[in-house]
Amino acid sequence: MESINKKYTLICLLVLSSLNILAQGYKLPNYTTFKLANGLTFNLMEQHDVPIVDVAIIFPAGAIYDQDKAGLASLTATALKHGTQRFTSAKLEEELDFMGATVNTYATKEFAGLSSNFASKDKDQVLLMIKEIVQNPVFDAAEFEKEKSRRLVRLDQQKESPGAVIGSYFDSLLYGNHVYGNNITGTKTTVELLTVADVNTFYKNNYKPDTSVISVVGDFKSIEMKKTLTQLFSNWKSNATPQENLASKAIVLPTENKVLLVNKDDAKETTMYIGAAGVSRNNPDYVAIDVVNTLFGGRFTSMLNDELRVNSGLTYGASSRFSALKNGGSFIMSTFTAVNTTEPTIDKALEVLKKLHTKGLDEKALASAKNYVKGQFPPDYETAGQLARLLSTMYWYDLDRSFIDNFEKNVDRLDLAKANEIIAKYFPEDKLQFVLVGKASEIKKIVEKYGPVTQVEIAQ
Amino acid sequence: MKKIMLPLLLLVAFIAKAQMKADDVKTFTLKNGMKFLVAEDFSIPNANMYLFYKVGSRNEYQGITGLSHFFEHMMFNGAKKYGPKEFDRTMEFNGGSNNAYTTENVTVYTDWFPASATETMFDLEGDRIASLSIDPKMVESERGVVLSERSTGLENSPWRHLSQSMQATAFQEHPYHWPVIGYEDDMKNWTQADLERYFKTYYAPNNCVVVVSGAVKFDQIKQLAEKYLEPIPAQPTPPVVHIIEPKQTGERRITVQKEVTNPYLMIGYHSPESKSDDYYALNILSAALSNGKSSRLYSALVDKQQIATEVFTDYGDSFDPGLFNIYAVANTDKTALELENAIYAEIEKIKTDGITERELQKIKNQKLMEFYGQIETINGKSNNIGTYELYFGDYRKMFDAPKNYNKVTIADVQLVAKKYFTKSNRTVGVLKTNVEN
Repeated sequence: MESINKKYTLICLLVLSSLNILAQGYKLPNYTTFKLANGLTFNLMEQHDVPIVDVAIIFPAGAIYDQDKAGLASLTATALKHGTQRFTSAKLEEELDFMGATVNTYATKEFAGLSSNFASKDKDQVLLMIKEIVQNPVFDAAEFEKEKSRRLVRLDQQKESPGAVIGSYFDSLLYGNHVYGNNITGTKTTVELLTVADVNTFYKNNYKPDTSVISVVGDFKSIEMKKTLTQLFSNWKSNATPQENLASKAIVLPTENKVLLVNKDDAKETTMYIGAAGVSRNNPDYVAIDVVNTLFGGRFTSMLNDELRVNSGLTYGASSRFSALKNGGSFIMSTFTAVNTTEPTIDKALEVLKKLHTKGLDEKALASAKNYVKGQFPPDYETAGQLARLLSTMYWYDLDRSFIDNFEKNVDRLDLAKANEIIAKYFPEDKLQFVLVGKASEIKKIVEKYGPVTQVEIAQ
Repeated sequence: MKKIMLPLLLLVAFIAKAQMKADDVKTFTLKNGMKFLVAEDFSIPNANMYLFYKVGSRNEYQGITGLSHFFEHMMFNGAKKYGPKEFDRTMEFNGGSNNAYTTENVTVYTDWFPASATETMFDLEGDRIASLSIDPKMVESERGVVLSERSTGLENSPWRHLSQSMQATAFQEHPYHWPVIGYEDDMKNWTQADLERYFKTYYAPNNCVVVVSGAVKFDQIKQLAEKYLEPIPAQPTPPVVHIIEPKQTGERRITVQKEVTNPYLMIGYHSPESKSDDYYALNILSAALSNGKSSRLYSALVDKQQIATEVFTDYGDSFDPGLFNIYAVANTDKTALELENAIYAEIEKIKTDGITERELQKIKNQKLMEFYGQIETINGKSNNIGTYELYFGDYRKMFDAPKNYNKVTIADVQLVAKKYFTKSNRTVGVLKTNVEN
């Protein structure tokens, strides 16, 4: 059976906008924080509406530490569940399934993570498993080979979905050799060479208590939970030497327009990202940028969607977003269109960006965006899982609750003069980076007008 | 794909075990036949409004395929009080957002807003239900939007190609035969008259169920509904979909060509509608086959035999008998036929020996957790309540569901496996690069 949405889901305004707290006096519920002797930080927040518990862990083990082994951080995170000293992989999966519990491990560009959801009555059993997964993984060689083989198929399959690959092409174009250009999933060439020994080494070097955080939210008593967690995690030790902060190295930004044309011979449409450098997460104007981007490309009536979808019917959707990392970030405009409307679509997107600079915003539009950002906020922090992820993310980006509790005030404070300053300062006018996934033989001539073109084959 | 709706129904089964009771949902029906279900919940200062219209692609015929979905788009393109673009602009100015979706069976409109904007939502919805204006200029630009929506779905997922061909083959007479998005040629040829007739026939208050959850009072909702929606006149009951798909009398096999790395496989068995007595046993069967890495198909095909890289199943909600689908992707150097036979081997085990007590208990535990996930949010509540009201005919039946699940035995699961998983009842589809050998 099929279900088709009328409006595609606009990607959250800023990738990290989950931190944008606000609305009708919304304050972050109370929580406690403590640190063990090994440096491991915990956040505990009681929420008793539903008898469940959610856990969100962040480890400083993202793809920025892959070096020349692209895909290693991601495979290491996955391999954490390939069995522990106490549980085989099959036993882990069966017991978790039996309880209806989930434990997922993953890597992002900057960090690795574990998220878990389970019934509060099962908390002792599941927390023990999480402890085993974090501290005592065995990285079984046979399981690793199976995982790797599935990963290689998935990498091949990426050519079946332009939307799945365009982001990593864009990051490599924007960030060049900086570690923020690293490809999280890796490529067939790099993954083929990875071994279980690589995984072991990566784990030893990058999973360590003193720079990790565990946030637990849900139906429990904090005093008892603290005791349980202290017992489980006090023995976690790491001898790893401190990592060099690769992400803090200067990003060499593009000095001119560039086009990366990703050829997909059987493409019937062109999928595109057009963007430039953005901002880092600690930018003091972060909230203001979020509000302005809401108007430009962050909601259905935004300038981009209005022009490319509503007025011209060129696409099902067009949007923009800032993706902020610790030491840098990107801005992109994103859309897709039929092969034969590639040129008018790109031209219109550029026109809308130009219009943002030449015409700026008006009071009514700004008021609307402020209302919208505030009104859409509370449902982002409704569940235990959302709150657990929030607390761990706050630790990672070094934010305290004042950021959250003052969010509404910060939105309200934004006036028109400041909003127009934000446009001039943060929305690019030139040095644009274009990634176009489509049929090169049909669109190459067209896209040459936007900048020097580099052409590659999709997912190779 | 209806991946979201399947768990929803199951979860709700356990609602009585949790905090929520049937009496927590309050209901009233306006004089024009529009039914309201209200769940007060003050955990966040927000609320939602879900409008379920009983119209989907099953109400279409060849020549106007895709019109239900296109109409869903047109509902945002202007009415009497709020002209083109004003619905979205007004909603967003008031801090609200919205979406909508269309399936074979229903069209659902979803508004999410700060509770303080509730009256504006009623004003907006009332305006477009009472007096939508179908502007020919908007029709043309929106036609481009849905053509792009169709194209991008096909561009990004081989499953979309394969499942459309599966539906077209498994259903030869019933309107589940065509895709919700429609045929490309029909999409280019819908007329103004088609749209106007569709609006009058199906967008009547008596053909709609509204669910409101969140930081609102029942009395306030009733008052607003009377003010903004009751004046809209009822319409004659829409024509009944009378076609019943004839019983399939032999296996059907199809092949679809597309450039892919490894073959994609679908196996679809005709299965009963949501109101069937076999519904719960079939849902448990689906979970036994593919829920989690310890499930039958994942553990055998992906983990142990490494014959597949992924596998999942889907038994969704429907008004009329639909399909129980099994989806799998072959591993490198494995053929679609090897994969297909490995799936049948697992099915045969269940038909011969049934599932175990532990499996049955595991699935019940999973359903409970899924249910908790749903009642954690006001959106989960509205979705559950509306889904039960529509597909089971009465939202109160969701409170009987625990009883119905608990009645399911190992023997029942084995019985439905034997009853529906037969060769002559199935359609098998393979999508691959080289279809010449």
